[in-house]
This record gives sequence, C-alpha cells and structure tokens, in this order.
Amino acid sequence: MGRPLEETELVARARHGDAAAFEELVRMHQGIAFRTAYLVTGSAEDAEEAVTSGFLKAYRAIGRFRRGKPFRPWLLAIVMNEARNRRRSSARREHLALRAAEERRPGDAAPSPEAAILEDERRRALLDAVGRLPEEQRLAVVCRFFLDLREAETADVLGVRKGTVKSRLSRGLERIRKELPDDA
Amino acid sequence: MRDLERELRELSSAIMVPPTPDLAGAAHIRLGATRPAASWPRRPVVLALVVAIVLVAGLAVSPARTAILRFFGIGAVQIEFVDRLPAVEPSVPLALGNKIDPSKAPFPILRSDLLGDPDAVYARGEVVTLLYGSPDRLRLLVTEIGHSVLAPELAKKIVAATTNTRFVDIPGSTGPGIWIEGAPHIVVLADAPPRLVGNTLLWVQEGRTLRIEGAAELDDALRIAKSMR
Repeated sequence: MGRPLEETELVARARHGDAAAFEELVRMHQGIAFRTAYLVTGSAEDAEEAVTSGFLKAYRAIGRFRRGKPFRPWLLAIVMNEARNRRRSSARREHLALRAAEERRPGDAAPSPEAAILEDERRRALLDAVGRLPEEQRLAVVCRFFLDLREAETADVLGVRKGTVKSRLSRGLERIRKELPDDA
Repeated sequence: MRDLERELRELSSAIMVPPTPDLAGAAHIRLGATRPAASWPRRPVVLALVVAIVLVAGLAVSPARTAILRFFGIGAVQIEFVDRLPAVEPSVPLALGNKIDPSKAPFPILRSDLLGDPDAVYARGEVVTLLYGSPDRLRLLVTEIGHSVLAPELAKKIVAATTNTRFVDIPGSTGPGIWIEGAPHIVVLADAPPRLVGNTLLWVQEGRTLRIEGAAELDDALRIAKSMR
C-alpha cells in the first residue's frame, strides 16, 4: 500500500476530476467543517446541510483554488458562507449548549457544587455574550477562540485582511468585557 | 483581571457539539485504500452509508428535502445517491436545446468512429448532445459537457441507493468512469425538466464530461467510449 497522499497532491488530483481524491479531502476536513458550521448555525441539521452543500460547492469550484495556498481556510470559507446563509434564512434561533461540568473534566478533582454552579453561570453568560455580538465580531471570535484558527487563517476564512480580524476581535472582546464584568 | 481570551478558549471545549456526521463515509475510505492508482475496481460498490440532508437547490426536482446517502462528482456532473427518487413526470420530452450544425458547437466535440455521424446535434449552453435515432424513437444519446462552465447545478444525476453502480476504467479518461444500470435514475440538466433515464456511462475525457445514455450493456457503452476522439 502506498503512503497516504499529501493534501496538495489530493487537491491536484481533485482539480483534475478525481472524485476519490476529493472524498479523501472531505474525510480530512469534515470534522472542523462541521464544527465551524455548527458553531455558526447552532443546529446540527443546518450544520450538516451547510457542510454537505459547502463540500459540493468546493468540489465544483476547486478549479479556481489557487495552488500553493492553504486548502483548509479556503474550504472553511465556503462552509462558513453556507452556514451564515442558513442561519440568516432559518426561522429558528438555536442556542449553543454547554456540557455539564462533570463531563468536561473527567480526570480532575470535582469542584465544590457552589464553585461548579458559579463556573457554569460564568460560562453560560460568556457564551450568551458571544452570541449577542454583531455577526462580524462573533465570527471572528468563533474562528480565533472556538476553532483555534491562526489570525491569517481567520482572515482567509472571513475573506478580510488580518488587520480587520484584529480590530473585529478587539471590538468584540471589549464589548464582552463591558457586558461581563470580572465578577459576573 | 480575568484573561478573557483564555476563558474563551476554555469555553470552546465546553460547548456541546454533536458528533460529526460521516460525510466521506466508510465506503469511500475503503475504496480509496483499495484502489490501485491506475486501475479501478470493476465491481459494484455499496454506496449507502452516509445520511446527509441537503436541499435540491436551484433545480426543478421535488422541493422537498431529499435524503442524500452519498454524493460525488464526475467532471461537471454531480451524482447523488438518495434513499428514494423524487417524483418525476414519467414521460418528459427530451429538452436538449437548439438543434445545431456540429461545427457550431461551443467547443470541438468528440465523435465516435463506431457510431458514425449522429442523426442530430443539439446544444444548450455548454451541454452538447449527439442524438442517434429520433427524439421519439431514441437509440442512443451521447452528451458532452464543456468544462469552461462548472456551475454546481450544471448537471446532476439522482440515483437510488439500490441502483447498480460501478466504477470502470476508460482509456483516455481522467479518473474513473461510472456505469449506472438497472433501476432508472434521474438526470437533471440546467433549465431542463428532470427526466428518468436508463443505463448510463459517465466519464471525463479531454476536458469534457461525456455521457452515453441508452447502451444496453456495459461492454457496448465501453466500446463506444473507447471510440470517442
């Protein structure tokens, strides 16, 4: 059996119509693609639709993908766009949920019940504050902190300059700080 | 003062995200692992592992959501495997576009020595169809789709999961071809009503997506495919 194909080779093959190569790319990136779409839509169903549709569009558009550029942000930009469209067109407003405290750190010593409640309240408030941010700032926060993308990747996914990412993050964080004082 | 950035990163791991649906699917991975680079398996492929729900956007198929079990593309054609075919008018007239002089096709068309000259040539944008027989008594259709336009909705095939589908090697083809036979499937070309069709061979050659509809057997379709130049 040969070595696993490098991403650039898979992309090159997919550009020439090799469906199997594209399927491999789907497999490599479906996890972060689905997480991206879910964090934007808040709905598993919408996220699945967005990712499927995004992959289809990416396959069709892969001829326009610029060689030498990183593939992941290009793909996530398409998925992100699909997810945003679904969020806008959906009548539902789903809210992200948090895991129970005991699920989050199975290996750690359990915090006292009071501390766990306070921690959960703080996290819930933080998540709600992110949800209330204007879309541009919210998506920048999602990319940088929830998807752990680098600044350059975030810029590619959002289709803006790195400086724009910085300013959106800065304004977003400032807004959250105002809403949530340290002792909140 | 709290470190808000750190808090947000920690929050990320606390957000409940449902498990990722398997969009690539185990069948795809198995195919990828077992396919030799130069030769594709000539056996039916079981293609029914993924359940993804998508909208059939922009096309005149049932507006209801269709459960897509798997999808992939061959050139300009998107192939979707669904749990059941959407409702389609049983006898939709061929909508192949305008009858044209072959020399006026939007790109140089490939021809088959085996089949000889078609009885008529039609074009609808980048989709050129060579018709053998007549629209009422169709013998064979050879469709050539140019790749200068790659809109997702340019062409689509909707195939029931129970339809027999296999990858085939075609000399001169970029990547594998696909043979769809047995149960009817649906072909959707841009601006044309969806149509039920029978056995079809699809492949990519010289920058075009080629499609033969109407060959009774795979061997017949392959002989025609090999003669296209």
